[in-house]
Amino acid sequence: MPRIRPSTLIKAYQENPLLPLLLKECRTLESARNELRWLREHALRTSQTRQPQTTTPWRTYLSSICRQRSRGYPLQYILGDQPFGDLEILCRPGVLIPRPDTESYVLQAAKLVEQIALEKLSGNKEDKEDKEDSDTTNVPQSKPLQILDLCTGTGCITLLLHALLSPRFNLRITGIDISPAALSLARKNLAHNLQAGHLTHRASTDIKFHRADIMAVNPSSNGTPTIENLLGEYVAAEESDHDHERDQDSSPRELECDLLISNPPYISTADFRNGTTARSVRLFEPRLALVPAPRPHLTTTADVRPEDIFYDRILDISYRLRSKVTVLECGDIQQAERVVSMHTSMAPPAEFRVQIWPWAEEDMAFYGFHSSGGSRCVIIQRV
Amino acid sequence: MLQCGRFMRQPLRFSLQPFLRRSLHTDLGVSPVLLTRARLLAAEHAKLSTRLADSFDAKIAKRAGELAPSAAILKEWDTANESISELKALLEDPETDAELHSLATEDLETSRQALPSLSDRLKKSLIPRHPFADLPCLVEIRPGAGGDEAGLFAYEMMRMYMTLCSRKGLRPTILKQDVEDGPSEDRLLEAVIEVEADGAYDILRTESGVHRVQRVPATETKGRTHTSAVSVMVLPSFPESGSASDHALNFDDPTSDYYIDPQEVRVEKMRAGGAGGQHVNKTESAIRLTHIPTNTVVSMQDERSQHANRRTAWQMLRAKIAEARQEAREQELVQLRRGAMGGVAKMGRGDKIRTYNYGQSRCTDHRSGITLHNLDDVLAGGDGLESVMDSVRTWISDREVEAMVAEEMAKAEEQEKKEAKQRKK
Repeated sequence: MPRIRPSTLIKAYQENPLLPLLLKECRTLESARNELRWLREHALRTSQTRQPQTTTPWRTYLSSICRQRSRGYPLQYILGDQPFGDLEILCRPGVLIPRPDTESYVLQAAKLVEQIALEKLSGNKEDKEDKEDSDTTNVPQSKPLQILDLCTGTGCITLLLHALLSPRFNLRITGIDISPAALSLARKNLAHNLQAGHLTHRASTDIKFHRADIMAVNPSSNGTPTIENLLGEYVAAEESDHDHERDQDSSPRELECDLLISNPPYISTADFRNGTTARSVRLFEPRLALVPAPRPHLTTTADVRPEDIFYDRILDISYRLRSKVTVLECGDIQQAERVVSMHTSMAPPAEFRVQIWPWAEEDMAFYGFHSSGGSRCVIIQRV
Repeated sequence: MLQCGRFMRQPLRFSLQPFLRRSLHTDLGVSPVLLTRARLLAAEHAKLSTRLADSFDAKIAKRAGELAPSAAILKEWDTANESISELKALLEDPETDAELHSLATEDLETSRQALPSLSDRLKKSLIPRHPFADLPCLVEIRPGAGGDEAGLFAYEMMRMYMTLCSRKGLRPTILKQDVEDGPSEDRLLEAVIEVEADGAYDILRTESGVHRVQRVPATETKGRTHTSAVSVMVLPSFPESGSASDHALNFDDPTSDYYIDPQEVRVEKMRAGGAGGQHVNKTESAIRLTHIPTNTVVSMQDERSQHANRRTAWQMLRAKIAEARQEAREQELVQLRRGAMGGVAKMGRGDKIRTYNYGQSRCTDHRSGITLHNLDDVLAGGDGLESVMDSVRTWISDREVEAMVAEEMAKAEEQEKKEAKQRKK
């Protein structure tokens, strides 16, 4: 990281004595100015809403949060939220803060799912043309899209997918996480965005958050359900809903999933320590959500790097669920390529179309990714 | 004669006089070319109305709605003319008795008085509507020459338009407010106000241009008066993508005049390289768009969400390019007309349009020539500002009528020439 020039520091100090504090984290004057503006607005707002006698004056509060920020404490934990699409996602210490990269992947995934579902719909329409065009007008009455979000954290992906897809489709979205703190925040976020009017009222019934350890194969001793337990229930619920349909096709229903999306922990222990991971992230965000914990019992994954173990497991789940689209966020292009090769070694490549996104130069520019070190996602599509 | 008499009787209330004279100084009659145009439009309106009675079509209904006012005014104008000629006949008739005679004289007087305003309205209804007239708008305010003082005045102008818009119920929001480096909040580098109400473009388009301020700035120590400038640009704000029912304004449609090819726009996120994703938590959300062919640059950093900044930046880029394209088209028309009109009547955005003089507490608009000696009220976005804007609107429509007459006359001449040629053959 290049050193901040003393002249910049002096200039910042002359502008506002609090700016040099913020410059430590922001590195550029423009971004420090913006942060100071947001922090000032936050300080003024809190001083207005709280009882005046119990709080410190807003200027004192502002300088204390600026000092906190200079130690690397994340802005989103101070302000309490982060915009994500059109939603407002609450952020609390102990739960990973949503990143703009993830926002772009979710928008792309929603676009893809919508495209596939509409193609299928128009295909069905051609099959039974005598039924008139009733099924295009009644889209929300059609069979719900099944979406599974593994490692949901704040619930940002789940909620944004609902906001994007609910106008045209019936949905059933399940968010899964191992951390109880994350799950309670995810539920809070659902309520918060419902109340703010960012989500339609259907969200309260369409969205479910469940606790599960997706890495555990056998029911673990500490009582955390495995993904198998959970998916067993998930499928059972499905079948009781569709009991009358089962009579028609006598074969047992297969597990189904239209989209499996995940932003799992993917940072290697080396990258966590060597400066690739920013200080603010390393010190204040939960390691659980960043670095995959080593699993001694998983002996079969000898050729899988420790930072990639989640992908190994999630790919396996996606095959079993016959997921139509799988979207996995990766740390950088090398990791994305490793995930692709894992996929090709695990499944017959003829059945799938795989891409690393954003790959094309203009996509990267359009969505603001930098071509070398930036994150990517792998999109696997069953054809 | 008659017009002079009318002016003598009318009390001159305040200093609106110069603009009043200008606006009414159009000849009593409507020139024949305009009348034929009006008749054509009225005929079209009648035809469309009968067609609408049979079957409803949104497009036809829209066109008919546009034509309705001129058709109605033409009818009024016709009845007024008819009644005048009837009254005249009555007066000339020697058999009319004295009582009826005096009544007819009175009636004739009132009808004649109504006629000029009617023909004025008729002319104005013939002006083709501005393509952006129904849209909401963005108001961009930037300081020009004059350093700090220009920035300070730009801030005051922003407040002026904010209060004007909220007073008129036009829902203004500040999209962007960049202030100069330094401790003060009130030295603007650039501000953009979004005025969400439909038709706001038409209301505010009188404000595009360079505004000049003459005063002793707060930063001046020796009491000298400075002159500085602030430029204001009123841009159309397009509705969110796809929802636009109007084909011509749908910017997603490649055949539309206002379409922007995404390939021609360079997007820069002002963010350094390095790791991304979970590795970092950058709060930098600024974004910059560059339209390469025209080198139009828009940057946004006000919101914490990159998504929101990107959307606003695109909205502003579209607005700027649409305005520039519209301007270019108007310029072309001016070039075409120049022969007929003998000069340029249009004031571009580069022209000085208004002066705010603090020493004399005066606000003068250089287009309509109006001067108000109540600067405080103007700067507070009050009735003063509105009356200035009204006078400019009248001025603009007068210019448009002139241009239209010139154009129609040129067309008619050409038509005649063609016919003459054919006859020769």
